[in-house]
Amino acid sequence: MLSPYGLDIIESCFTCKLRADRLFCDLPAGALQSFESIKYATAYPKGAVLFVEGQAPRGIYVLCKGRVKLSICSTDGKTLILKVAEPGEVLGLSASVSGKAYELTAETLDPCQVNFVKREDFLRFLKEHGEACLRVAEQLSEKYNSACHEIRSLGLSHSAAEKLAKLLLDWTAKNGEAAKVEPRLKLALTHEEIAQMIGTSRETVTRLFADLKKRQIVQAKGSTLLIRNKAALKQIASAS
Amino acid sequence: MESIAHHSCFKCEMRPDRPFCDLPPDALQAFDQIKEVSQLTKGTVLFCEGRPSRGVFVLCHGRAKLSVCSDSGKRLMLRVAGPGEVLGLSATMANKPYELSAELVDNGQVVFIRRKDLLRFLKDNQNACMQIVHLLSDDLHNAFDRVRTVGLTRSRRSRLLPFRGRA
Repeated sequence: MLSPYGLDIIESCFTCKLRADRLFCDLPAGALQSFESIKYATAYPKGAVLFVEGQAPRGIYVLCKGRVKLSICSTDGKTLILKVAEPGEVLGLSASVSGKAYELTAETLDPCQVNFVKREDFLRFLKEHGEACLRVAEQLSEKYNSACHEIRSLGLSHSAAEKLAKLLLDWTAKNGEAAKVEPRLKLALTHEEIAQMIGTSRETVTRLFADLKKRQIVQAKGSTLLIRNKAALKQIASAS
Repeated sequence: MESIAHHSCFKCEMRPDRPFCDLPPDALQAFDQIKEVSQLTKGTVLFCEGRPSRGVFVLCHGRAKLSVCSDSGKRLMLRVAGPGEVLGLSATMANKPYELSAELVDNGQVVFIRRKDLLRFLKDNQNACMQIVHLLSDDLHNAFDRVRTVGLTRSRRSRLLPFRGRA
């Protein structure tokens, strides 16, 4: 079935070919059957807001397809992007479990398929299925791990140059390019969004990229970035 | 490190007030069998950031400071954990290196549970597993609060303000 956003919606988790590779989704048959009965498969266009920081938790969102930007905001409107969630991630998990307000805002970066589960259904599901409960604990642990990484990066880096270098090296590691002499990156975010990831201004990010290019540390071809001098980038990343 | 072989959680008067410790009797019985109780002195490092996770530490008495460190040794304190808290949980569950360091700030009593034993215990005890999910959710909330303070607060002075009340 084709949705309005050109997404091939997977109606049943049993027929999802990607299930085996995804931490939360790869549940035993009994648990999966129960999950099927409580989930709502929905499609969202690019730019849709799934939930907003401070809102009471309605439930969890399992990202099946597409990417979602997770951000927090200060009272004066300054935004910090924590991460870009990939398919297989469960969003709104800790808020739904604890009953506290969503601690961040989730906005789709592409057309997305999301399986929504109401909070009360989800909590009942966890109580009945121990295996799912363990998977949720693992997902929460992964999220905690990346939150600590974020704190370390924001709190212990001196300069914006250092934070940008760390971010680029992180992305190469995630893309499996870290071992290459000249890793290649597809920049999926704008300079404005990269600025929001490292807590600086768009102008600073543009200036830093210009500087990296001038020093031939990176080379840009459209949205692809080639890291030509990985050692120099590592040196900038470990300046503090 | 002085180790006490037998110290039952059944005798602990603080148990009803502590989310993780207040387990049903059968789960508590199983927990008693897998735990190692130790009396540790102030300054003892329970675990170090970057080291492979061996298991979790439950603080019975005393407090522990949790911090992260840069490559150059610069340290950022995250918070001070109090009695009843379970430390090293996320690293142990994800089977990843500890993401922070924990050091006792008082003389204290700590319970240690090996990863393998913890996972088996959680598989067998659904209530405990739900408690762990709740604790991890709270940890994550605290971590996001800290990200907000560190990443979105302009002055160093105002970064310190929300932190003073907690420790």
